[in-house]
Amino acid sequence: MLHYSFMQNAFMISLLIAVLCPIIGIFLVLKRYSMIGDTLAHASLAGVSVGLMLHTNPILSAFLLTSIFGVIIEFLRDNFKKYAELILVIILSLSVGIAITIISTGQAHANVDSFLFGSVLTVTRGDFYTVLGLSAVSLITISGLYHQLVFITFDEEGAKIAGLRSKVINYIFSILVAATISVTIRIVGILVMSSLIALPVATALQLNKGFKSTLLYAILFSLVDIIAGIVISYWINAAPGGVTALISVFCLVCTILIKRGSAFI
Amino acid sequence: MIAIEHLGFSYALKKTHILKDLNLVINKGDYLSILGENGSGKSTLLKLLLKLLLPTEGQIINDFSKTAYVPQRFESLNVQFPITVYEVLNCYRKSLKIKDKAAITKCLAIVKMGDFANNLIGTLSGGQCQKIFIARALMGNPDLILLDEPSNGVDVTSQTEIYSLLKNINRNQQVTVISVEHNLKAAIHNSTLIYHLYQGAGHLCNPDEYINEYLADNKGGDPYAAL
Repeated sequence: MLHYSFMQNAFMISLLIAVLCPIIGIFLVLKRYSMIGDTLAHASLAGVSVGLMLHTNPILSAFLLTSIFGVIIEFLRDNFKKYAELILVIILSLSVGIAITIISTGQAHANVDSFLFGSVLTVTRGDFYTVLGLSAVSLITISGLYHQLVFITFDEEGAKIAGLRSKVINYIFSILVAATISVTIRIVGILVMSSLIALPVATALQLNKGFKSTLLYAILFSLVDIIAGIVISYWINAAPGGVTALISVFCLVCTILIKRGSAFI
Repeated sequence: MIAIEHLGFSYALKKTHILKDLNLVINKGDYLSILGENGSGKSTLLKLLLKLLLPTEGQIINDFSKTAYVPQRFESLNVQFPITVYEVLNCYRKSLKIKDKAAITKCLAIVKMGDFANNLIGTLSGGQCQKIFIARALMGNPDLILLDEPSNGVDVTSQTEIYSLLKNINRNQQVTVISVEHNLKAAIHNSTLIYHLYQGAGHLCNPDEYINEYLADNKGGDPYAAL
């Protein structure tokens, strides 16, 4: 399987995604922003469509447009404090509206299915370098802001009072979410991307550990999910996104059952 | 010192004043309890002192260099948040660029919670939790600590420990304490000053004056007996 160059590219990208998604995901889940991740994932379809229409790299165009949508969500949070879900409806309407208009008029000069469902066949070495660059920048930024992000996620008001520039950090974080989504769409696909962002974290949360331990377990679950997803999708000739999502749910259910079972012993 | 001058506040959509023409000076080493009924403007005043709100009239001049805050924690705490006591203090230390790594163990020792460093914050009782947030506030050696109802959701034994700790920090280390209180007994016994808010207006007095002015008429006989 690994003698195919597209599988080598897919595996290398998958390892990067498996590390990056739970790192971003743990902050999204604990801020109770899982649905923002899902909205931005769908919003990235607009970026992919624009990229395909303009014959540019769809991962980079997805990153740019998703970043803009992420910043708009953060900006609108002050205007809709009590109706946060309304922001997601606005962004979904705008982004999916752009995508459907471009795709339905035949302006996207390629098949968008591989971006919707994920694909290993179409992954190129160029994609790998794009993903590598975005992942490296994201990981370096997160490691620099790690303690501030933990503080803001745990106690946003306390962080503001302590003098942290939480607004700026939240904007930077929105762009990091956009970067993570952009690097993930190639393999996992837009439709089930949030499974890789939220489910490994949800599984790790079942273990009742501290922040760093939860994060490390989430990365471990994510690695298992995505590698098993790619291997199984290769053998059964299915899109890797769907298989990865199913494995993520399976891991979560098993962990919950083991936890419940051990409580009775 | 904090100087509050002709302070007024009203929310943009409401015409009524939450706070009206407050004038108050809080000096270094004071222990001020802010008392008043629900809706009297205590929380609004605290938010103004914390700069979470801006005055609509007047001003607050604050020349304390390091302000720390202990929130009314127990009710708002997400008990499922996966974070240990050590991690709570460490992210605060790193975010505030406090270089002394031993600050965490020192502050935990002050609140007698050294054995709980590796416990998840959600597994602690209300009193233990409050002590952790006081330990967090003490990191970086603040000269002013603001607290929002520190005894809320806290058992009686822990309340005694918490107020004894606050009094000790105030009297021995000259750390100024401003505490929004519902706990009248604690306010009378620990404060050097009491600021009573009623319908947005304030009155400053010392604990003895407070007993005579606000409690004696209601209770009759010895006002201290009720405490």
